[in-house]
Amino acid sequence: MKTRSITIYVNGEAYSLNVAVNRTLLQVLREDLGMPDTKYGCGTGECGACTVLIDGKKSILACLSLAVLMDGAKITTVAGLETEGKLHPVQEAFVNEGAIQCGYCTPGMVMKSVSILAKYPKPTEEDIRRELEGNICRCTGYVKIVQAIQKAGDALASTC
Amino acid sequence: MSEFSVIGKRLPKVDAQEKVVGRSVFAADLDLPGMLYGKIVRCLKYAHAKVTKLDLSEAAKVPGVVKVLAPGDVSSKEYNTGVLDLLVPMGDLADQYLFTGWVKHQGDAIAGIIAKTEEAAERAAEKVIVEYEPLPVYLTAEESMKPDAIQFHPEKPGNRACTLPDQMPNNAYGWGDVDEAFKNADIIVEDTFYVPKVKQCQMEPHAYVALYDDRGRLNCWTSTQMPKLVQAKLSRFFNLPMNQVKINQTTVGGGFGSRLGMVAEPETCAMAMAVRGRPVKVQYLREEDWIASESRHPGKYWMKMGFKNDGTPVACDAKFISYKGGYYTHGSGVVFTTGSWLIGMYKFGACRYKGETYYTNQAPSGAYRGYGNPQTNWAMEQMVDRACAKLGIDPVEWRLKWHKAVGDDSSILGMPYKSCGLDACLNEGAETFGWKEKRQRYANQLGAKRRGIGVAVMNHCSNASPFLLEHTACTIKMNQDATAEVISNCSDLGTGGHTALQQIAAESLGLRMEDVHMKVQDSDAAGFDIGAHASRTVHMGGWAIIEAAEKVKATILERAAKHFEINVEDLVINDKKIHPKGSPDLFIEMKTICDQGISNFVDFSTGKTIGVPGQIVEHSSHFAAHNAPPFAATFVEVEVDTETGELKLIEAVTAHDIGRAIHPPSVEGQLEGGFQQGAGMAMMEETYYDKNGLCLNSNFTDYKMLGPSDMPKVKIILVEEPDPVSPYGAKSCGESGLVTPTGAVANAVFNAIGVQISEGPITPEKILMAIKEKDGAF
Amino acid sequence: MSSRILPEFDLLVPQSIPEAVEMLTKYQDKAAVMAGGTDLLVLMKSGLKVPYIVSLSEVPGLDYVIYDPNDGLRIGAMATLAQVADNADIKKNYAALWESAAVNGTPQTRNRATVVGNILRASPAGDCCAAALALGGKVVLQGAAGKREVDIDHFWVAYRTTARQAFEFAVEYRIPANVGKSAFKRMTRADQDLSKLNAAVCLNMSGNVCQGARLAIGCVAPTTVRMKKAEEILKGKEITDSVLKEVEEAVKGEVTPIDDVRSSAWYRKEVSGILMKRTIQKACA
Repeated sequence: MKTRSITIYVNGEAYSLNVAVNRTLLQVLREDLGMPDTKYGCGTGECGACTVLIDGKKSILACLSLAVLMDGAKITTVAGLETEGKLHPVQEAFVNEGAIQCGYCTPGMVMKSVSILAKYPKPTEEDIRRELEGNICRCTGYVKIVQAIQKAGDALASTC
Repeated sequence: MSEFSVIGKRLPKVDAQEKVVGRSVFAADLDLPGMLYGKIVRCLKYAHAKVTKLDLSEAAKVPGVVKVLAPGDVSSKEYNTGVLDLLVPMGDLADQYLFTGWVKHQGDAIAGIIAKTEEAAERAAEKVIVEYEPLPVYLTAEESMKPDAIQFHPEKPGNRACTLPDQMPNNAYGWGDVDEAFKNADIIVEDTFYVPKVKQCQMEPHAYVALYDDRGRLNCWTSTQMPKLVQAKLSRFFNLPMNQVKINQTTVGGGFGSRLGMVAEPETCAMAMAVRGRPVKVQYLREEDWIASESRHPGKYWMKMGFKNDGTPVACDAKFISYKGGYYTHGSGVVFTTGSWLIGMYKFGACRYKGETYYTNQAPSGAYRGYGNPQTNWAMEQMVDRACAKLGIDPVEWRLKWHKAVGDDSSILGMPYKSCGLDACLNEGAETFGWKEKRQRYANQLGAKRRGIGVAVMNHCSNASPFLLEHTACTIKMNQDATAEVISNCSDLGTGGHTALQQIAAESLGLRMEDVHMKVQDSDAAGFDIGAHASRTVHMGGWAIIEAAEKVKATILERAAKHFEINVEDLVINDKKIHPKGSPDLFIEMKTICDQGISNFVDFSTGKTIGVPGQIVEHSSHFAAHNAPPFAATFVEVEVDTETGELKLIEAVTAHDIGRAIHPPSVEGQLEGGFQQGAGMAMMEETYYDKNGLCLNSNFTDYKMLGPSDMPKVKIILVEEPDPVSPYGAKSCGESGLVTPTGAVANAVFNAIGVQISEGPITPEKILMAIKEKDGAF
Repeated sequence: MSSRILPEFDLLVPQSIPEAVEMLTKYQDKAAVMAGGTDLLVLMKSGLKVPYIVSLSEVPGLDYVIYDPNDGLRIGAMATLAQVADNADIKKNYAALWESAAVNGTPQTRNRATVVGNILRASPAGDCCAAALALGGKVVLQGAAGKREVDIDHFWVAYRTTARQAFEFAVEYRIPANVGKSAFKRMTRADQDLSKLNAAVCLNMSGNVCQGARLAIGCVAPTTVRMKKAEEILKGKEITDSVLKEVEEAVKGEVTPIDDVRSSAWYRKEVSGILMKRTIQKACA
């Protein structure tokens, strides 16, 4: 087949599209759905700028996902993290800890951080650093990003 | 209790919210009506070749293609993507073309394709028919300087793109008689260091949108660091009056010098001009970054130092021969500044620096954070430690004794330092790091794993004066409600520049942060600014804002004085109210004065107006009166596995002479990020080429950088000794963070294994080889 | 060649194993089989042209990881590296495979990439390849004529070439029970990286004596290989420092690495023995 009809759920909304088989999820999000919050950084799976979540917790790379094989998938992008204008604790922590400089890696980095905390509710610093691999930041040296994830973890734990 | 209301506060950055929700707009995110996609067709097959045949006819037939552009379809005018020719009248060379017939590096642009979709443009690019006549490839200065080498440009015989100017005797920078002085040395250390070609690797790939609109205006959306200079360059290149060129600076996803000047704005604009009325978007692929944008200047740095037995530095002689890449761009810049940081560091009896740069067949070397300083740090700090080891002197003690300080000539001979917090940096840094204790602990180690500690120091600048033009303009416009518009073309590359400038504006106007709006990123609205380079944003932007703010306050006070019918000297501004000294209850609000200036009605019953008419809008045009060099010291602990050569970073402390931290989280962030780049340069970063000049690692798979697991614990110490000539005492930090980690990591390895590795980066392969050559006597 | 735009291809999405086999029988070497896609799509973005892609993502029942203390371990074609890295039984009983799956790639790619895919990719740098060669076992291939098993020792026939024929695809990798103590180690430039050198061992221990060993090493030959001379040295011996020294020298002598962008032939040769020694020590710990 050269095209396929799919329905994907992005940030809680259903989108039905007819997509060429060679289009990645990244292209579909940014171009077909007009959602530029997920970024292109390398296209080959190294930088993590295109990280989105499946079922709210599993991190995958949109640049290496064929859109047509994502029929029925429940996808969260960074724009879908806020609830009624209130930032997600991870977003809050990134802002408050100074973990954002140029902001280009931020969408993927935030999504990855959410998935880390979903898997490791009380992560050690080693857990965080190990799990952050696959998301490249060239501005922060990762220092305040690690601090932000620790703070966000504390915040999420205290609301349980 | 802080003396300031906003300066020094750890508040969230003004752009953090939009970035964290993914709503900040980068150039690639732009989607304008009727937008087309532009593809720059590049030579990927050869590093040096003449184009003998170019046939775009098949490409033109691909469905979706709107236009194809060969060199003959666009301007053949030469230009220089760098901006130094606008900042110093030294006649830098313009040797670049939009689309070339003579490929000087892999990645050089040979044609353009405009299509309805990116996919169509890609398919069309595959159908371009091109034939080349390959030419000999030169990958080092040693190769291209040979007499029989092909000459890259008729004005540059011997392929020497630049050397120090003739105004400097013997084309050298320094003081004293170095050759005489060496005669008095008890010991001499000498070596040649290799600096690798490292890449900024900013996370946002280069992207542009251009539109030649129906008013004949060329609009360009770009994340350049220097919007007003790019406006001037494009205006010159396309023969358009400056008011017909508009630069919309988009969110900058990292600069680090990669966007100091132009990258592909000319090609994008040329494409836009070929399809008037339609925006054209050009978006780099990540793999284009290494082959089609500028890197650091790599090369061979020879250095010789002479010392007395008691450590007195008698002489230093140095020469940096760098590889320019295919085009001139920043040819005159780094060649000089590399030596200036050397000149500004230590009290040598005599010092001499020479610099040259030679054309090679690689993507051009241009600007990268530090601009010659990391190269100098790499060589200079290793040389100092070599001498200290020979003389049995503690490296921290030696630096405390011999670094230049207040009153000594800075990197600019004839301009002495006005402040220097390096003693505090060294002492507090050493204390926090545990320097003395670790030196003792690691003095006699057994076992295969060896720890080592190293220190490095540096001086940098807070703007580019006196060598380059330094000018920033600022307009402050007061609204009726006494909120302020601060109109500026200063750039924020993610550095926190706009946040710090807004803090300075609020503080100097006596307003809260939320009362100030920075109107930025619009070349129409603001006056001149050079842009973000030479770590100048806070220093120059800050002074421009303060000067305009002082004028605003003066006007407000004048009008308040009229209102109270007293002298201006007897008034005080406090919390947006103006009142006579000692009578806080008798006040007029700032907003009343502002409102009366704008809404200046005639009271029909009295025939008079209330208050003073005239909107309060004040302007400043600040030219740098001073430079304000910051200093820093970095301490690094490493562990070397002597069986495998593997190198691990254990801990780092950077102490920075910031003067005053306007926005402390941003200062820390700049230093932390700089560490990742500097340590990466020391340990693993390098762009590799095969013998034909084709890049072997133009991707993140094989251009490796320190990741979160490779980074050590990094502690930042901010030494705040306010500088007398800086806005609120603040010196710079934008580039500094990258400089000292290069020397500190190298020195830590030396301390661990007793051997210095002069060829960067220091990989396990080189460490193991060095250990084996030393007979593995461990 | 573009990291954003994939070349054109025809996508086939079988809904069952027989359907997949039918497609491969029809298209053979015009088709590439795709599991997680993290390798194949990157190759295609670098210029690989493939007329047909047969995706296994909608074939049900291929994502299993089944451990039985008597029958051993069976990993389905679509079982991800993340599934293996999250599996306590594998961590305990097949430590080399667990470790190789846990460090290969990034957390995001591990959520998609598969063990079987790594084996089929047949890169000499494949981390799961090193672990698989040390642990032993078989690759199960499915074609129109039915299933056939190929010993892992005979699976990689040349650089990036396997025993799989164009009309069949790998459905499973299986390892027997009680293979022994195993471990995996690797060397990289940065922590997250393709390996410049990797090694895996599986030791069949009887008390302190090593009855038999499988020593696998990657990045030193066109495929992952076993160090047979070094394995002989360990047979029937206690693993002492002097035995390990002999193993180290044997491995160093046996490997034939090359220079590439990640490391040099000299370095790989120098440290291969040390890496193997340390991997054995890790297995024994």
